[in-house]
Amino acid sequence: MLEGSDTYDMLGSGPILTKEDLIAFERDIVAHFEMGDIKAPVHLAGGNEDALIEIFGHIRPQDWVLCSWRSHYHCLLKGVPAAELKAAILRGRSIALCFPDQRIVSSAIVGGIAPMAVGIATAIKINGDNERVWCFLGDMTARTGIAHEAKQYADGHGLPITWVVEDNGMSVCTDTSESWGMEYRGQMKEVRYHLKEVRYHHKLAWPHVGTGKWVAF
Amino acid sequence: MATALDIGLDYHGELSRAMALLAANKDALFLGQGVGNPGTTMSSTFADVPTARKIEFPVAEDLQMGTCIGLALKGFLPVCIFPRWNFLICAANQIVNHLDRLPLYSDGGYKPKVIIRTAVPSSAPFDPGPQHDDDFTDAFRLMLRTVYVETLPDAHSVVPAYRAALERPTSSLLVEFTDAYRNARAKS
Repeated sequence: MLEGSDTYDMLGSGPILTKEDLIAFERDIVAHFEMGDIKAPVHLAGGNEDALIEIFGHIRPQDWVLCSWRSHYHCLLKGVPAAELKAAILRGRSIALCFPDQRIVSSAIVGGIAPMAVGIATAIKINGDNERVWCFLGDMTARTGIAHEAKQYADGHGLPITWVVEDNGMSVCTDTSESWGMEYRGQMKEVRYHLKEVRYHHKLAWPHVGTGKWVAF
Repeated sequence: MATALDIGLDYHGELSRAMALLAANKDALFLGQGVGNPGTTMSSTFADVPTARKIEFPVAEDLQMGTCIGLALKGFLPVCIFPRWNFLICAANQIVNHLDRLPLYSDGGYKPKVIIRTAVPSSAPFDPGPQHDDDFTDAFRLMLRTVYVETLPDAHSVVPAYRAALERPTSSLLVEFTDAYRNARAKS
């Protein structure tokens, strides 16, 4: 069970998806991309299935999920029907998927969702709504100025946000820690919960963008 | 019947009236620096806005703009205050990439409506210098696809522009000119 918040004991009730379901969905997207069916960038997920399934076990239908350009798994686990998600990806929306019915907001801009998370959570606090914001940030994004500002404001005002740091050690093709002149702390397989921040480590199963195969249109 | 010209409207008074008009909307919230406290050219125009509707924000423009987008996604009507274009430009990421583009990349699923207020400062006889004196109206008109940009050249344009922004389904960026009211501010 998550620690550090009185809302953590309320388990989510999203669809029950297995690791195999998630991987199969992504492999289907790979096939479409390599056939040239998707004429836009795609960011594939992989290697983080167990961690995300565990985290989404705590996310409730009324909660908001804000995520980055790599959000296929997040959408499935929040309850977006696979066919609807696939249609959006085929339309070229992989890198910034949005589904109001499931309260999913994404952005393809680094850190773009962090202040929006603050705004949604401020509204939740003002209204007294029984909702929470889960904001997923990559390990590079989590070190940016806008992420620090957003976390500082959220902490100071007691906003209902859980920040989830998805740490694959990389930012596109750049080693995150090395680029900041810092030593990497090493891989951890388990999900670590720390007050209002969750961190999990994984090795991304795919390149930053695309499938690794050049597709000519 | 008296016309607006006969009435002799003053720019500062009209800005105050426009802020009160916005505040009459139950969902309106005012965010920025010098909103809840004195400190900027615009501060005195919020005198008729209820205190509970004013959120004095840290100097963190991109965070402020993104926060307004998030509030709008939950149904509020944020009025986002940047006293100068040179300050607003620090929020350009959220304005262009998110407020303006979110309705597009979400295929109309999310249409956050925010009213942004900024100003072109006076440049003479008091000269605020090259980091404080810009007018980026034309540049932002070129960058924005869904946010409506409107200038408020005189007192008569102020309230109609804010009324239109209230009625418009999309976001608006309203540009005022402090030359038109800096002396009035000193008297308020």
